[in-house]
Amino acid sequence: MLTVANYSYLMGKLAKAALWISGTGLVVMTIAIAWQVFGRFVLNDTPAWTEPLSLVLMLYFILLTAAVGIREHFHLGMDFFQNIASESTQQLMARISNLMVGFFGLTMLWWGGQLTAQTWSVKIPVLGLPEGISYLPLPLSGTLIFLFSIEQIINPAARKNLAPVSTTAE
Amino acid sequence: MALAVLFISFILLMFLGMPIAFVMGLSSLITIIYLGLPPLVIFQRMSSSMNVFALMAIPFFIYAGELMLRGAIAERLIRLAAALVGHTRGGLGLVNVMSSTLFGGISGSAVADASAVGGLMIPQMTKRGYDVDYAVNVTVMSAIIALLIPPSHNMIIYSISAGGSISIADLFTAGILPGILLALALMITAYIVALRRGYPAEKFPGFAALGRIFIVSVPGLLLVAVIIGGVRSGVFTATESSMIATIYALLVTLLVYRSLSWKDFVHATLGAVRTTALVLLVIGTAGAFGWLMALLQVPAVTIEFMRHFSNNSLVIFLMINVLLLFLGTFMDMAPLIIISTPIFLPVVKAYGMDPVHFGIIMILNQGIGLITPPVGSVLFVGCAIGKISIMQSMRTIWPFFLVSLIVLAIITYVPEVSLFLPRVLGK
Repeated sequence: MLTVANYSYLMGKLAKAALWISGTGLVVMTIAIAWQVFGRFVLNDTPAWTEPLSLVLMLYFILLTAAVGIREHFHLGMDFFQNIASESTQQLMARISNLMVGFFGLTMLWWGGQLTAQTWSVKIPVLGLPEGISYLPLPLSGTLIFLFSIEQIINPAARKNLAPVSTTAE
Repeated sequence: MALAVLFISFILLMFLGMPIAFVMGLSSLITIIYLGLPPLVIFQRMSSSMNVFALMAIPFFIYAGELMLRGAIAERLIRLAAALVGHTRGGLGLVNVMSSTLFGGISGSAVADASAVGGLMIPQMTKRGYDVDYAVNVTVMSAIIALLIPPSHNMIIYSISAGGSISIADLFTAGILPGILLALALMITAYIVALRRGYPAEKFPGFAALGRIFIVSVPGLLLVAVIIGGVRSGVFTATESSMIATIYALLVTLLVYRSLSWKDFVHATLGAVRTTALVLLVIGTAGAFGWLMALLQVPAVTIEFMRHFSNNSLVIFLMINVLLLFLGTFMDMAPLIIISTPIFLPVVKAYGMDPVHFGIIMILNQGIGLITPPVGSVLFVGCAIGKISIMQSMRTIWPFFLVSLIVLAIITYVPEVSLFLPRVLGK
């Protein structure tokens, strides 16, 4: 049965999977660019696939992890007015904000999905993969953003900070 | 009218407390629907703003910084700074500024700097009899230095926002002297305030100890040389140098300092991914937002408005600085750079300012914005570590604040401070 607690449990798994996929993406990206430098200086043959591949990987890990940010509250916003509002207004503002973010997730899913479908038959030069591959993270991330926003709205326990505040953003 | 829709939806959503990345995305979407254009464009712009090769340097620099942070490099740099300047009166204040400068050459991030240096220095300073507000103020103000000393991913964002025509190597070298100038100014201020409050001096460890401490910190300090040398010489692209910085950081913490466990590695990797996602999602939606502003001719209108106001370049530069400082109080750095560069860069160029010079002004200006509430991430980190309220810090921060503004004025009106090094080292 799908209870609120079960839903949160599921979201936790989903967030962890998204994070680990992203982390692996970053490591692979590091290796790819290292290989590019190695190829140029040692093998005298710069591989052409490393840059486009790394870029596609980056798009995936940015957008997947950005969705996780909804769950971990690491996105920066102006919470000044929330902080000075009364407890009930604060809750109301936060829930409206969750709704808006969730709605934006849906629009990412809808229009990002259209972009993906429209560009699927075009090939990325060198890689030979469909161009849609680089748009696919939009609907994927949109789905996650929507799901995580729902969790924020239905489960009060999920509203506290889960992750350490980002340390290197600025 | 469309412009009003864009700005009003932006301000309302922002005041609601919605994350800024989503505020920009959603207000762009609302405006494009209002204009009757296909909403697909917003998502296409968002994706294409992130799909830029030069941006890949950002995750790598952040990754290198994370690895250095977990690998206890900050501790070693603080020990070096302590050995160098700790024996003056109020020495720990000076140590704090110097540590920020050294660490800034590794992380390029003011928030990372504040949390790394502040996390170690604030408790130590209070234990040695310094007031906690002083410790916090010195920490947060000197964290701005990290933005100017290369590498600085905000400079990469600036270069890309300017259309990618400004050399990242030039921006990196241009930041060095202003960074040192700010460091000196803050050290003098820290010293004067310390004198007036009667803070103690530390013992000088002796030259032998100083030498030993220096040698231990060399591998960390070398990273700056690796980055600047790589980008400057043109042997590597900025992205490739940043990758080398990552692998170098990994090797130093793993093999030389032996301070990085598997757990640390996983934390560093996931931390880097989180921060990258945070910064680059903002870049994506700000890209869409900025594109809409260009479509609605905001840059052209701004130039017209400013010309109407004054024709004196000194006045124009002052106006832009004041406006950016104001915007910086409630907006974060990356989105502000992306949105304001296309608007102001043509203006200052028309008044004869070098784009590299403007980049340095922008970085310092918006760095100061990271210390000013209501949105001041660096100030918040510092106050959180020192466990004091924002108000407590604000009450005594003004001498440091004032000095930073004076440095900003010097950097604005004396272009040579920024442009001397890139010219001397230029090809």
